Amino acid sequence: MTAGTVTRGRSTGTVIRGRSTGAVRGRPLLRTSYAAEQAIWNTPAKRAWTLALVVAVLALPFFLSRDLTSLMTTVFIMAIAGIGLNLVTGYAGQVSLGHAFFMGLGAYTAAVFGGAGDDELVGLGLDMAVWLPMAGVVPALVGLVVAPLAARVRGLYLAILTLGLVFIGEHVFKEARSITGGVGVGRAPAEPVLFGLDLRARYHVFGYILSREAVFYFVCFAIFVVMAMAARNLVRSKPGRAFAAVRDRDVAAALMGVSLRRTKTLAFTISSFYAGVAGALLVVVIGRVTPTSWDLFLSIDLLAVILIGGIATISGSILGAAFVVLTPRLVSELADVVPFISTSPSSGFLSVFQLQTMLFGALIVLFLVLEPRGLYGLWVRVRNYWKAWPFSY
Amino acid sequence: MTAAVAVQTCRTIPDRVREWAGLDPERVCMREKRFGIWRGITWRDYWEQVGLVAHGLVSLGVGPGDRVAIHSENRSEWLYTDVAAVAVRAISVGLYSTNPTAEVAHLLRDSGARVLVAEDQEQVDKALAVLDQCPDLEHIVYLEPRGLRGYDHPTLMPWPELIERGREHAAAHPTLLDDAAAARTPDDVVTLIYTSGTTGPPKGAMLTVRNVHFATEVLGVGPGLYDPPPNENDVTLSYLPLCHVVERAATIWINAGAGTTVHFAESIDTVAADLREVQPTLFFGVPRIWEKIHAGIQSRMSGASRLKRLAYGAGMALARRIGDDLVRHEGNHTFRTRALYALGYPLLFRALRDRIGLRKVRAAGSGAAPVAPEVLKFFFGIGVVIREAYGMTENSAVATGNRRGRVKLGTVGEPHAGTELRLDPASGEIMTRHPGNFAGYWGLEEKTAEVLDPDGWLRTGDVGEWVDGSHVRIVDRIKDVIITAGGKNVAPSEIENALKTSPFIKEAIVVGDRRRYLTALIGIELDTVGDWAQRRRIPYTTYRDLTEKTDVLTLVQGVVKDVNAGLARVENIRKFRMLPKELDHDDGELTATQKVRREQLHDAFDELIDDMYGDTTKFPGGDLTGVHS
Repeated sequence: MTAGTVTRGRSTGTVIRGRSTGAVRGRPLLRTSYAAEQAIWNTPAKRAWTLALVVAVLALPFFLSRDLTSLMTTVFIMAIAGIGLNLVTGYAGQVSLGHAFFMGLGAYTAAVFGGAGDDELVGLGLDMAVWLPMAGVVPALVGLVVAPLAARVRGLYLAILTLGLVFIGEHVFKEARSITGGVGVGRAPAEPVLFGLDLRARYHVFGYILSREAVFYFVCFAIFVVMAMAARNLVRSKPGRAFAAVRDRDVAAALMGVSLRRTKTLAFTISSFYAGVAGALLVVVIGRVTPTSWDLFLSIDLLAVILIGGIATISGSILGAAFVVLTPRLVSELADVVPFISTSPSSGFLSVFQLQTMLFGALIVLFLVLEPRGLYGLWVRVRNYWKAWPFSY
Repeated sequence: MTAAVAVQTCRTIPDRVREWAGLDPERVCMREKRFGIWRGITWRDYWEQVGLVAHGLVSLGVGPGDRVAIHSENRSEWLYTDVAAVAVRAISVGLYSTNPTAEVAHLLRDSGARVLVAEDQEQVDKALAVLDQCPDLEHIVYLEPRGLRGYDHPTLMPWPELIERGREHAAAHPTLLDDAAAARTPDDVVTLIYTSGTTGPPKGAMLTVRNVHFATEVLGVGPGLYDPPPNENDVTLSYLPLCHVVERAATIWINAGAGTTVHFAESIDTVAADLREVQPTLFFGVPRIWEKIHAGIQSRMSGASRLKRLAYGAGMALARRIGDDLVRHEGNHTFRTRALYALGYPLLFRALRDRIGLRKVRAAGSGAAPVAPEVLKFFFGIGVVIREAYGMTENSAVATGNRRGRVKLGTVGEPHAGTELRLDPASGEIMTRHPGNFAGYWGLEEKTAEVLDPDGWLRTGDVGEWVDGSHVRIVDRIKDVIITAGGKNVAPSEIENALKTSPFIKEAIVVGDRRRYLTALIGIELDTVGDWAQRRRIPYTTYRDLTEKTDVLTLVQGVVKDVNAGLARVENIRKFRMLPKELDHDDGELTATQKVRREQLHDAFDELIDDMYGDTTKFPGGDLTGVHS
């Protein structure tokens, strides 16, 4: 009778163990461990919907044209970049306009490690298994070097500091011809050969022919899932809570024993890693890019991703990326059916490009004013409405 | 030899727990919430802890027939102590955690408890304050050390020390529990359950091994409290005081009898939240709980958006039809009710039941007092068929219950299996006879003789009548029946319950014994009336201030008029006055189980009563024509 009983510090000397009965199943609120309380998929409905979504995403390339498949791949890549920016800006509260620089850095790192070299360009021609991690690690190291500077300032000054990073970066990219190919020329992206498997070829799978776009789509989706999950887990861990503490009030966080410098440095480093990976993948989809592409406008696009998607949410970053990438395409499709929109810049009442710019600007303003929590906030509102049914709270 | 056979047939709670621990040691049998997490306790843990506590009690000098008092909210240690006391042939005594110091003194002195298990500083303080009045009390074991570290009293001992003593004692006396089990007889008293004491001080009802065995078989193994009977897959929430016989049966006896999984509510205030989390399959409520859930739904719906109110209105229209049909067919579903329910389920019922925590309820019961038929119909309508049952401490909570498919609204059902029930031909008093009839009041032979006939019939003190020859309807407590000056017999509880159906009214006390007409003292429900006032932008400060608002008085008057419309003329309430305060256990107005003590109330508020019968208007209230504040 006495065997196996461990008396703990609490007044109950009961050992916490035992086989859980069927009681816990179907009772999502009956939490028997802190893990259950922290679970991402805490209800059966969430599990089912996530599974359905994954199946739908995996089935998509079989129904889409090749250019739309590429566009969807871009969504995943922008989502990775958006998640990275959301970690530092949304979660840790450190405004960064320098994200484009880190993306460019990732892209060129990948090109150096994975691209073909010649007399004018440095290129090692390594496997994707090497160049993809390196494309994250090198920007992360640069982020690590810059972070102590960034950790000293906050708010507007931080925005200016990171803005400076973009301009320095752009200049360096222009001048370092042996790495970037120089202005107006650029260089070919790293070669996507993963473990000796050439991702540019077509493959026959179960009687289907997978185009190279579809192959890369699946690869990017897999990378995206891994990185999104990693980020989601990071933000519910101790460092993630430290991020939020620093964002909400840095003085209070410091008083609680959260090291400001370490937390901010970590946020910058991880965020740069995400940006670098996204940059490397992006050029593979787009092709040859010139050094001037990694400018302030890309940084602002990324801010739009997290502002429209939802600050401090991983799912929001994904929604925002889908929105920012797909809307321009939608607008240009509209141009074919709506008469007063023209596809050429000079003719008609409104050109597609004007409309895109105006739409984006208007949407950012509307979101900031009406739903600062972005698309994700809208979703939360809808969900809470039904969650509380038939009550209102 | 005969005794040994009888012990075999009468299984005690420790026997049953031990059996479960042997059969299915790793299965969780109870959960309690600690730091936000429901922590499971297996049958093996349960039995181990019972053993250690039993040895610990013996090491403190507790022997057969000694009393062990427990003064705590529902928690696992309550069960350990109760079962451990029975395991060593001692007698457990439960105290309500709301008991004020004076009552604690009475209970400890009257029972002569040697050991008290007190939950926390609050209960320890009460016991220490009255220690000199309780010469038998030798040890106070406390569960929560918070606030007690600075206490230095020879009687005090923390719970882990009791467990540690138990461990040492068990090593030295390994056969103690087996010896105690062998020496046990079916007539051993296992627990004293103190009556709530609506009239006079609480009396300790002695329940024996045989009583508890019978009650466990009827309520826990058979379809007594719940129909269909409970089983191992059932989940329950323990939230009513364990010192009351109903919760003792619902938590300890049914758990040990049927192997259900018990969840302890954090406190009586968090029942709504706990219900949502636990989603029990069996739920037993007292009328106050059902009324509170019902009122809560109405109050929250009135604040809901237009679309939601529309959906609720549509769902309720269905629910009313379902409820009426179910009542007509004695709780049996017809094709129509099933079709209507299928229609309303996705629209409202599923979500609503989920919100209030009753989505998985497969059997629900109500007892201790009558529930208003409107409330019952509401729950019938949303698919929770509440079956009213009847019993009392003195018959181990075993008397009658509504059977599945034979539910008659307004009755407490049919006598349970093995229960003889008859009505006294002269007074209509309900009398029961079965092996669950108690052994007597502790130390009160005269009082025992008043309720227990020599031939084994128990006088329940309730007036009842047969309905359709099979079901019993409770009219009222025999002592509460009002005889008006006109000579008419009126059962006040029926009128009071009709009044309390309104979500705005919490307390209603009908007055009128030997008077020309009936009047009522009304206490409002602060939550709902406050909410109502806020919506109408009526400013108020305190409870008393709110009761004196003309709008509130008019609201109450409306309720009184509505109730009068459904009553015979002689039963009409002609006047009412507002209670200036919320009734409270500490002030002696309510019992620990929230029943009103009429005599105390009549004394405390005699000015209000005189005001009504003296045709003056000194206090806020009204009659059928107008109100005054």
